[in-house]
Amino acid sequence: MTAIIRTEKLTKNYGTHRGIADVDLEVQQGEVFGFLGPNGAGKTTTIRVLLDLIRPTSGKAYVFEIESSADPVAIHRRIGYLPGEFALYDRLTGRQTLEYFGNLRGGVDQAYQAELIERFDLDVSRRFREYSKGNKQKVGIVAALQHKPELLILDEPTSGLDPLVQQTFFSTVREQVRGGATVFLSSHILSEVEKSCDRVAIIREGRIVRLDRVDALRDLAHHQVEMRFAGDPPADEFKKLEGVSDIEVTDHLIRLRVFGPITGVVQTAARLGVTDFLSREPSLEETFLAQYGHAESTPAEVK
Amino acid sequence: MAAQARPLAGLSRISLRSRFYGFGSIYGKTVRDSRLAFIVAAGLLGGMALVMGAAIGSVFPTAASRLEIDKLIGSMPASMVNLFGKPEKLGTLGGYMSWKYGALFALGTALWSIMALSGTLAGEAGKGSLDIVAAAPFGKRRIALEKLAAHVTMLVLAMAVLAIMTILSSNAFGDANLGDHIAPLSAVGFALWVGFIALFFGGLAFALGPVLGRSGAAGVSAAVMMLLWMASGLQGLGWLATISPFHWTVNHVALAGEYDWPGLALVGVVAVLLLAIGVELFTRRDLGVTAGLSLPSLPGFVLGVRGSTSRAFGDQLPRALAWGIGLGLWGVILASLVRSFADQIRQDSSLINTFRTIFPSEDLATAGGWLQLYAQLFLIAAGLAAATFVSKWASDETDGRLEMVLATPTARAKWVLAGGVAAMLSVALMTAMFAAGIAIGAASGGVSPGDAILGSTYLGIYAAAIVGIGVAIGGVWRTSLAGEISALVVLVTYLIDLLAPPLKLPDWFHQLALTAHMGQPMIGKWDFVGIVACLVLAVGGVLLGGLGMRRRDVA
Repeated sequence: MTAIIRTEKLTKNYGTHRGIADVDLEVQQGEVFGFLGPNGAGKTTTIRVLLDLIRPTSGKAYVFEIESSADPVAIHRRIGYLPGEFALYDRLTGRQTLEYFGNLRGGVDQAYQAELIERFDLDVSRRFREYSKGNKQKVGIVAALQHKPELLILDEPTSGLDPLVQQTFFSTVREQVRGGATVFLSSHILSEVEKSCDRVAIIREGRIVRLDRVDALRDLAHHQVEMRFAGDPPADEFKKLEGVSDIEVTDHLIRLRVFGPITGVVQTAARLGVTDFLSREPSLEETFLAQYGHAESTPAEVK
Repeated sequence: MAAQARPLAGLSRISLRSRFYGFGSIYGKTVRDSRLAFIVAAGLLGGMALVMGAAIGSVFPTAASRLEIDKLIGSMPASMVNLFGKPEKLGTLGGYMSWKYGALFALGTALWSIMALSGTLAGEAGKGSLDIVAAAPFGKRRIALEKLAAHVTMLVLAMAVLAIMTILSSNAFGDANLGDHIAPLSAVGFALWVGFIALFFGGLAFALGPVLGRSGAAGVSAAVMMLLWMASGLQGLGWLATISPFHWTVNHVALAGEYDWPGLALVGVVAVLLLAIGVELFTRRDLGVTAGLSLPSLPGFVLGVRGSTSRAFGDQLPRALAWGIGLGLWGVILASLVRSFADQIRQDSSLINTFRTIFPSEDLATAGGWLQLYAQLFLIAAGLAAATFVSKWASDETDGRLEMVLATPTARAKWVLAGGVAAMLSVALMTAMFAAGIAIGAASGGVSPGDAILGSTYLGIYAAAIVGIGVAIGGVWRTSLAGEISALVVLVTYLIDLLAPPLKLPDWFHQLALTAHMGQPMIGKWDFVGIVACLVLAVGGVLLGGLGMRRRDVA
């Protein structure tokens, strides 16, 4: 298969501040590639290097096998980009904004543009400054998609969108992929990446800490359980159970982490007379900390 | 079991210092945020007071020359009296400084107040950050009062610097035998006048802010300030003078030992009223909801969506029109009055000689000479306009639009060139409107406008050079400071040109000012070295910006 995006030891420092370090990636043609990481991990920095908006301190980035800083215009001709944060022209209406970005690409298929506007239920007669956050995001999405690019680079694209529009967005992306496009999607929402991507890279503190198929991410999932007992919590009973770790006892309260099925913990707790039971799926940030918290940026099993 | 509030153990104490300067209160943070503006304002005001004192000693060193200038009193055209200031004891340091530069102190400080008080609430509301502040457990009135108090504090401090530097200036450079000594009461009276005038127009901006938003309030207040200043000085604007704070305080020439405390108090009272209206409007109105100015919308086709250059020009067009209208009106009013000024001067040969001493480079016996007298002010206005065009171009990057633009097949250098060309077109439009204003005014005043219309182009040439400098800075280094640095170049150029001759600074230093090479275009005397230098800066700056942009990271 052809690599649409390829990076080699890509590094970017902002003076004394960390950017990204030794990022190695390959995104194949036709795949939806998720780029996952907490805020400030280096997702946007990587994207900006790919687009030659910033230049790498060392290493190289190739898009369509063109080095990003060698001929960025040739790359830009074939991509659609939605930045994580953007502001457009306050005085222009949505229609004028889309027309302008279409013109910068030498024109777009008007019928497809109209279809996208209708699909996203976007009122293009209003000025950009009058739009809500979600509607501004819709304008950005249509601007990124309207010229049917070969590669879509989307930085946290669902930010500000309601669940229905998110569904529309992902179905449109899938449609573009069926038409031969490749998608590079950055996000900090695990569930979003899980349902839309083929492969995913996890970036933390500027380094890729994991790169795998999405199915393989399931082993990151765990539950945090908090239980209250009338007397002292029977910590030893839980220690014996498979998948249980990080047990903490405070007075009548016991906290533990469960990887895999939670059934054993529930049954044991019920048998021992639990008075209160709370289980929750932790946030991605917590998952990362649990999984990579002590790794101190050591690359783990980059595939 | 009912949940109980936990004791707030471990909460950090807010230090007294941070309540007054820092993050301990809204007042403290606003004072902290104003520190740079304060340093610039106090530095300029104090520095000007100091060098003005140094200047008079070199311009009028002898008692005889002082007597000569004193003769101006009573023979000066009435229309000049209030525009510059009432001529009292012109032969003294204080009297001369009040008359020739007093209005400059007041207008400059008022501009600072307008920018600060239009932005402190309205600007923050527009950005949305005020929502977070307003969600804190204070009332809206307290927020407004704390922010207002912070600006008043900085203004009082700046006025204290002005008063102290004025006294120091008279002691260091003045001759007590010639009446140059400035008493503390005089210096305080002068600083109070400057401060009250500033607070009057700042108060107007503060009152309009909740209704018009930041730019609307600042624009209207600045326009009203110029109108009322000119109304007080030029007799052509009739009744408007009666509502001008400059007119109310025309007899308050504190540096010459003349005081009009009731007049000054009236300005203070109206200023406080305007500020109170601002506080109440902010308290009662919805946060961040402004009526805006109902200006007619520009037709869609001029907004420019065809390509990079037309879009950049479409973005600049509203402010180019605003500057053009402002400068054009200024041109109409001045050009219509200059003939009567020149006629009055021509009637008295000794008056002509005296004016030549004060304004050695302008022939005030001619209408063109009068227009040339205002050349420095026109150049400052055009230069600042150019800085705002640079700032608008730069906002593509600072506001985050540039990423999306550059993700299209638009090369970085093309974006810079398109922005530079659009800014130049804006300069051309503004200049054309100014020239039209001069032509209309000259025609109505019975003056042949030929030289003046052609001379108006020097504004455009100078502004184009400032655009070039700004685009070069933005392209090579960073856009976030390009507008500010361009504005700084304009101010520094003005100060060098203003102060180098009277302070007898080396000629090479004076020549650093671009405006020192502009000739006297309003009377047909051109300096082609200056024109070439401006054009090189304009074209070279844009090209350099394009080259620089290819090398640096996008912010």
